[in-house]
Amino acid sequence: MKLDPAIRDQVLATVPSLRAFAISLCGNIDRADDLVQETLLRALAHIDSFQPGTNMPAWLFTILRNLFRSEYRKRRREVEDADGRYAESLKSHPEQTGRVEFSEFRAALAKLPSDQREALILVGASGFSYEDAATICGCAVGTIKSRVNRARTRLADLLAIDSVDDFGPDRATRAVLAGGGRS
Amino acid sequence: MSGKTVNIQPPAPDSDTPQAREGSARDDMGKPATHRKSEVRLGREVQARIGQQLRAMYDDVVRQGVPAHIADLVRRLSEQDDGTA
Repeated sequence: MKLDPAIRDQVLATVPSLRAFAISLCGNIDRADDLVQETLLRALAHIDSFQPGTNMPAWLFTILRNLFRSEYRKRRREVEDADGRYAESLKSHPEQTGRVEFSEFRAALAKLPSDQREALILVGASGFSYEDAATICGCAVGTIKSRVNRARTRLADLLAIDSVDDFGPDRATRAVLAGGGRS
Repeated sequence: MSGKTVNIQPPAPDSDTPQAREGSARDDMGKPATHRKSEVRLGREVQARIGQQLRAMYDDVVRQGVPAHIADLVRRLSEQDDGTA
């Protein structure tokens, strides 16, 4: 029995966003790609439990998140250990996790509790509705809303953004310079 | 690990223009009206900038597309499945 090509294409179409989410959870692209592979193995082995016509991205994100929670997080310190490994991995692999100009923003993001970061990314970057994000995280819609709100409030505090100008190109340039002097 | 060598793209030219700022301030993160209170407190523009950074960072990865080894994996799995194909 072959997989319906339409379903396969839906899976493939979700992979880029799935990787971005995985990287935001793991803070490391190699680990994230392992997680994505595991997710796809599991998803395709249980593809019968996916109902065609329903939300493929939400289904795959849910599997990935559950895998991350059950396996990966056990093996390592809590992600919200901001001074620890997550933050370290971001610092030591700037070229793997994205452009250096985001380093300041990433560092702030890394300081959020993992449940808040996850909610913010699902809603603010992945573009899921609050309802889908709640399904993915296995919690109430109100919980997602409050996590997103707290995440945004905390980010603004951490970045100490007094004005839009303070968050503009000059600040990005300073971040690049600061990043170059580090390590 | 060919997927690791990333073609890093230049920043979107419009990311710091006033137009882009206004554009995302309009419906940043798709938040509903119930969030207006904290939004006003934090400042719409500040939150718009955070939303922009968040999406830019995320889209950096999304733009990498599907790494070859992952595409191969999906094709292989979808062809074999349980071997009855």
